[in-house]
Amino acid sequence: MNEPIDGLMVLLVLLNLWLLASSRLIACTRIVAAEGIALGLLPLLLSWDQGISGRLWFIAAASVIIRGVIFPQLLLKALRQANVQREVEPFVGYSLSIVIGVLTLAISFWLISRLPLPETPHLALLLPVALSTILIGLFVIISRKIAINQVLGYLVMENGIYVLGLALVKEIPALVELGVLLDAFVGVFVMTIATYHISREFEHLDADQLDSLKG
Amino acid sequence: MLMEMSWLLWPLLIVPALGALVCLLLRSPKTVLAGVCAVVAAEAVATGAAVWAVFAHGPVEACAGWFYLDALSAYHLAILLAVFGLSSVYAWFYFGHEERAGHFSLRTARRFGALWLGSLGAMALVLISNNLGVVWVGVEATTLLTAFLICLHRSPGSLEAMWKYLIVCSVGVAFAFIGTLLIGAAAGQAHLPAGDALLWTRLRDVAPDLNPALLKMAFIFMLVGYGTKAGLAPMHNWLPDAHSQAPAPVSAVFSGFLLNSALYCILRCLPLVEAATGNIGWATGLLTLVGLVSIVVAAAFILFQRDAKRLLAYSSVEHMGIIALGVGLGGVGVFAAMFHVLNHSLCKPLAFFSAGRLGQRFGTHDLGVLAGAARSAPLWGGGLFVSLLALIGVAPFAIFMSEFLILKAAVDKGDFLVMAIFLAGLSIVFVAALRYAIAAAWGKSSEQPAPAQPLPIEKSTLIEKALVWAPLGLLLAVGLWMPDFLRETLTQASGIITGGP
Repeated sequence: MNEPIDGLMVLLVLLNLWLLASSRLIACTRIVAAEGIALGLLPLLLSWDQGISGRLWFIAAASVIIRGVIFPQLLLKALRQANVQREVEPFVGYSLSIVIGVLTLAISFWLISRLPLPETPHLALLLPVALSTILIGLFVIISRKIAINQVLGYLVMENGIYVLGLALVKEIPALVELGVLLDAFVGVFVMTIATYHISREFEHLDADQLDSLKG
Repeated sequence: MLMEMSWLLWPLLIVPALGALVCLLLRSPKTVLAGVCAVVAAEAVATGAAVWAVFAHGPVEACAGWFYLDALSAYHLAILLAVFGLSSVYAWFYFGHEERAGHFSLRTARRFGALWLGSLGAMALVLISNNLGVVWVGVEATTLLTAFLICLHRSPGSLEAMWKYLIVCSVGVAFAFIGTLLIGAAAGQAHLPAGDALLWTRLRDVAPDLNPALLKMAFIFMLVGYGTKAGLAPMHNWLPDAHSQAPAPVSAVFSGFLLNSALYCILRCLPLVEAATGNIGWATGLLTLVGLVSIVVAAAFILFQRDAKRLLAYSSVEHMGIIALGVGLGGVGVFAAMFHVLNHSLCKPLAFFSAGRLGQRFGTHDLGVLAGAARSAPLWGGGLFVSLLALIGVAPFAIFMSEFLILKAAVDKGDFLVMAIFLAGLSIVFVAALRYAIAAAWGKSSEQPAPAQPLPIEKSTLIEKALVWAPLGLLLAVGLWMPDFLRETLTQASGIITGGP
């Protein structure tokens, strides 16, 4: 089952770059949702040959539903409430963002090739893509001003960490995995409520203007 | 001796979780505040039993090794309950005052009760979990549960602080998860069965065989990740905002234990990394560096601070740095650092209590306005004065003793550069904070036109007096004479960090 996994990784890279190029927040939310659904399928593909246990089906289903359906619904609702459509002036422009996205990919391939990491199949592609996804998530958090976009960046980072976990650790105990998923779920929930309050209090969602506390 | 006593550890999670749910059903703000105190008291009893079992019979294990309580975690658990106990009683007075003024609705009260007890449960989960993955889940849960405690009273400032806290700490703690995964990968290489791969006790047994390069990477991620939550510089910039904007009882818990619970995670991983890298002091060296940076950065900001709660927040950065430095230096420093955890967690809540009540009274936390507070509000003004003295390390309070021991550890090690930087940082903080402490006691309020009617001398109840003087008395007593059981506890706890049996 090598080709589907490689295909999935390429898809993830393309979605990341597309996210970096998009200014419409609804489109960004949908891209991150697509990433979530794709990643939910990844553990199934990874252990296709060994046979898939009921536990794995359950976690994959939970992951797809939470990342692919619930998160985007929460975020779209927050967008409607705050009444913002697009990020007009990010700190880093959209074309430069794509260049930086490609650069993170190159850096990730170079870094991973130099690290003494355990030998497992598929790693050649999984690890660098995971690392570059984490870096792109971080970049989105830093370079975008609208609070919802920062939540999306956080989600992209979580997606990267999820791939990293699948690549590095053979079998994370189900309880831990569910705990992590639950934390991500509550995290996004809390963040969207926070954006709601911010947009009501300040009448905008510009995290850049949250800068009165200093020193 | 290892005991399988799951009945001792389960209540630690069940009591706060149930309490949090019950708080959502109570019908008046006063009953919520009373309910919180009752639940924390029940949790204290459960903690007392578990801690007693650990020190009488050795580590307690439960739930097939997923829960594990040894001297290090039991010691932290006891401090957690002390901080929450004091702060819950204080919350009764603090929010009681707001309720009379009509600023504390039932909705707010219920939210406070549920999140307060929920975060107590999450911190207990961090301490009693043996699985590093569950520890991480607990730390992230504390971030999410405490975020809305910061903006209990919604204002532009508190929302800004909450958003910063939420994003910075979530991203930071995500780094710690990468570190956890790397440790899991190393365990897989050492052929630990998948189910055991993240259990701390199993990792400790095989630590010398773990891949040193992977563990080094893991430690860097953990230090950055949990260090963000612990407020270690240069990852500290969420901290002063959150501490200054949160209501005082919440700031007290943030400073008194939230930071320590994250630092505890770093301390847990330290012996694993040291054993895997061959005990050459690689990880402790990093910790020393981060500790020194924190002390210096905090000192620089304290020098120009005018807001009482921000000053206390930077002082927390300093004290977390001191604890990290002590552990990094090794030897008697680890013992002293553990002692410092207790001292700081007793003293800092008290300082926030005082600053909070003075803030309610004067309507500001500006230190210029608070000058002379000890005259019109003897109890809380006096509390602020004495707790500031204790915090900057005036003898014979216990903080002086632990800082002195850490200095001695630096001298023992022959690390005179570290010693010099540490001393310089302490002196700057000493002078800068002393200025305000003296002003609080004897100064004249500079920036406020004298009120038409002078504020009446406050009357305080016996419990409020006990809230101020009991921790101070304890600090004084422990500073003058350390009882044997405390010495034994500290020795055992520091033994676990240095990788002893």
